[in-house]
Amino acid sequence: MFTKTKMATALLGLAVSVAGVAQAADLVIAGRDDLMGRALEQSVAAYQAEHPDMDIELLKLPYGSLYEKLVIGMREGDSSFDLVMIDDTWATEFMSQGWLAELNEDRVSQDFIPALTDISRYPVGQGPLYSLPVVGNVAMFAYRSDLMDEPETWSDVIAQGKQLHTADRSGVVFRGTQGNPIVTGFLPMLWAYGGNIVDGDGAVNFDSPETVAAIRDFVSLREIAPRGIEVYNSGEVRDAIQQNKAAMAIEVWPSWVPTMDDPELSQVVNQVEIIPPPGEVNASTPMLGVWQMGVSANAENAAAAEDFLAYFTSANNQRDLTLSLGLPPTRSSVYSDAEVVDTYRWYPNQLNALRQGAPRPRINAWQELESIMGDYLQLALLGRITPEQAAQQAHQRMAAAL
Amino acid sequence: MTHSLRYAVMIVLLLFFTLPTLWMLGTAFKPAGEYVGTGLSLLPNAPTLEHFISLWQQGVGQRLVNTLVVALGTTALSLTLAFLAAYALVRFRFPAQLDRMFLLLVLVVKMLPPIVVAIPMYRILRSLNGLDSLPGLMLSYQVYTLPFCIWMLLGFVRQIPVDLEEAATLEGAGLFRRLTRVVLPLAAPGLVATLIFAMLLAWNEFLFALLFIQTPSNFTLPLFIATFATENQTYWGELMAIGVISSLPVLILAGYLQRHLLRGFAMQSH
Amino acid sequence: MFRSGWQPALLLAPALLLLALLTLYPIAYSFVLAFTDAEYQSDALTFVGWANFNTLLNDWFFQQATWNTVRFTVSASVVQVGLGLLLALLFARPFPRRQWLLPLFIYPMMLSTLVCASIWKAWMHFDFGWLNNLFDAVGLSRQPWLSDPALALWSIVLVDTWQWTPMAFLILLAGLQGIPQDIEEAATLEGATPWQQFWHIRLPLLRPYLFLALLLRSIDTFKLFDKVYVLTGGGPAFATETLSLMAYKQGFKFFNLGAASAIAVIMLVIALVLSLAYAWQVMRRPT
Repeated sequence: MFTKTKMATALLGLAVSVAGVAQAADLVIAGRDDLMGRALEQSVAAYQAEHPDMDIELLKLPYGSLYEKLVIGMREGDSSFDLVMIDDTWATEFMSQGWLAELNEDRVSQDFIPALTDISRYPVGQGPLYSLPVVGNVAMFAYRSDLMDEPETWSDVIAQGKQLHTADRSGVVFRGTQGNPIVTGFLPMLWAYGGNIVDGDGAVNFDSPETVAAIRDFVSLREIAPRGIEVYNSGEVRDAIQQNKAAMAIEVWPSWVPTMDDPELSQVVNQVEIIPPPGEVNASTPMLGVWQMGVSANAENAAAAEDFLAYFTSANNQRDLTLSLGLPPTRSSVYSDAEVVDTYRWYPNQLNALRQGAPRPRINAWQELESIMGDYLQLALLGRITPEQAAQQAHQRMAAAL
Repeated sequence: MTHSLRYAVMIVLLLFFTLPTLWMLGTAFKPAGEYVGTGLSLLPNAPTLEHFISLWQQGVGQRLVNTLVVALGTTALSLTLAFLAAYALVRFRFPAQLDRMFLLLVLVVKMLPPIVVAIPMYRILRSLNGLDSLPGLMLSYQVYTLPFCIWMLLGFVRQIPVDLEEAATLEGAGLFRRLTRVVLPLAAPGLVATLIFAMLLAWNEFLFALLFIQTPSNFTLPLFIATFATENQTYWGELMAIGVISSLPVLILAGYLQRHLLRGFAMQSH
Repeated sequence: MFRSGWQPALLLAPALLLLALLTLYPIAYSFVLAFTDAEYQSDALTFVGWANFNTLLNDWFFQQATWNTVRFTVSASVVQVGLGLLLALLFARPFPRRQWLLPLFIYPMMLSTLVCASIWKAWMHFDFGWLNNLFDAVGLSRQPWLSDPALALWSIVLVDTWQWTPMAFLILLAGLQGIPQDIEEAATLEGATPWQQFWHIRLPLLRPYLFLALLLRSIDTFKLFDKVYVLTGGGPAFATETLSLMAYKQGFKFFNLGAASAIAVIMLVIALVLSLAYAWQVMRRPT
């Protein structure tokens, strides 16, 4: 009797799954979950309304999962996805491996912010176009304008942070989690102090007096940060600033903060200014984190993929997505739209930051370098090693990894 | 242990194991504004069903069905094969310790981290035409559930007195009859415990499902769950609501089967 | 014992064939790659001998991860089996509403690991966490559960214990039923105290199940990954980095398959050493 039930369930399983295999879709898209996923979903629905006969499948995945799935699918040569969404730091790998198809040049409107379309090309700025920028993310800096003046330099951040630091509200907040998160908070500081990870030739150039100075000041931020900063990630950073628990957030991405002025979720409505990060030795170099979309080199439906991409990145659609979801646009015209600026006060600052922005180094092994740097930064943050040791040891290890 | 000590221990353990669950249940019904706080209240002030409705609209139903099919199929296959294998390993003497070698091999399989198995498994499934299909997924899960079931069942089958089987043999029962009429009923508590664990393994598996399934409508629950705890934000209400929903089927199954698990006690107590 | 013949082979064959089909290639694949510099994105492949192992064994981060993993495995599996035994003994005797309480106790293991880890991440938040709110309310000081390197690993042991003690509990509960009632009754008639009964009768009979629970729990805890990934990312300062997390980063973030396979091989060796004693006890034929 036991076995009969088992057989029945197994057969049922087979039947259901066979029935579930529909015929191939007309367009298969793989993208991120969360805000970007909702933006894709909304756009697919709108596009579908114009093309009622099309069967479009949209797969939404978390950050790490999307990367794993895309790399393995691309490497094994499976053409399961036509249009894929990739992070800025994966772009070099995807383009240099030939995983993305060249796009038609007349898709590039002059309206896109030039710094963003530059990194859609491989080699950067010169080569053929492999993707279009779809999310205009750039690392910004948030501070409480009701409590303090706009900080000019990182030294100023530390000085004002010390004054504002209390038991109830810390001076600064940042992502302190080991590995990649801690690095993105640190990079704008590194650049402002004149430090670098790799030089112009792509060789590791991390161990320098500038780097040591940047690490030293970064580590000193821990004293004016909330307890537990060592395991803070983006969610904790956003909560801290929105719940009035921190006076400054040294790294804020526009797609994190559309709710900053929403009285239901934020206790600091209209009290937070979002600006490009401060400078120090150098003027500020905002860090780009632009999400892009490209057509898979194995795509079965390449034409449909390009057509949807054009629709998705059109000025009209970007404006809709920005107003309804807060997705940061990549076109200049959307940033100057009166209604958009009215909704998101910081958009003019953001446009400036995007125009002056610099991408992270264009190397294949970036994820590994970033992770190595993150490990040593956290050891330094916790005082296990000195800033000098961190710079030197991270340098050696990164050089070995390259 | 004295009576009062027993009760005291019981209550402490009960609190430890159920308070976090209660918090999950409460949060599943909390509106977004109530997540973060410094109070001790576990229950929502203004309960809402919005998270459950939102999950429904995002297609939790299809995923639940997929997961149920995969988990049941995986478990049925593993339990059947493992039961037969465990019986053979217990009741028959194999030459040259082959039985122990087999058990060790099985153990090694279970110890391999999924990360190194995933890419070769992808290729095996592709050559079997099993990518992007639920039967393919059930097959790949055998790597973990089958060794687990074999090791679990070994002890429970061994415990069954051999004389009962010998008596059945004298009455002319063949192997199949002995297995289904004598061994199976006596091994029921162990089988039920094994079934629950194997179900859970398949129910919560993430990596293989991510890599081997392509079509969104074929995906199982764990990937869907992951989209509510994202890099930038945790959607506490929806995450806890999906936590409740996804745990209910196995809980119901376990509740239904627990009479088999407690049956031994029932027999003892009269 | 029955006479051998074609029957045992026939019963064992399906499981054996299926496992062979599914695992021979993956096992060979990882053992071979462990001696190469393979990267997933390229076909180029050089044999490097023991170089991957040398690099790993001399690496502070790897040593730290190994030490963390071993500490976690031993403490979590022992605590879980201990607590599970306590629960199983409590539930072995009928009491009112036993059927209703049992599901409450085994519920945590039915939760998705991501949900489980998220619950505890919320509970262990320094400022808003429910645990610290509770500590405040009863006059204890707030604890940096996850952000203190000295505490973080034990906090994760706590989370894993919450989720997986039910597994040890169920195994031992099922095992307790095999103890024939008449032995216990005889012991009671001979005047054995409950403690003597436990120590001399139940415990020896439970032995195989205790070892089974220890074996299965230590294999699972040795592969600890998801909870760390969600709760601490391996930090602070590598205090919770595990071998699985390292293998994951090497294998699936950097796609250094050579290094990832080498970690897997070392993990396999350690796991075998840690669990062989238990495994032997489970395999031992009753005398």
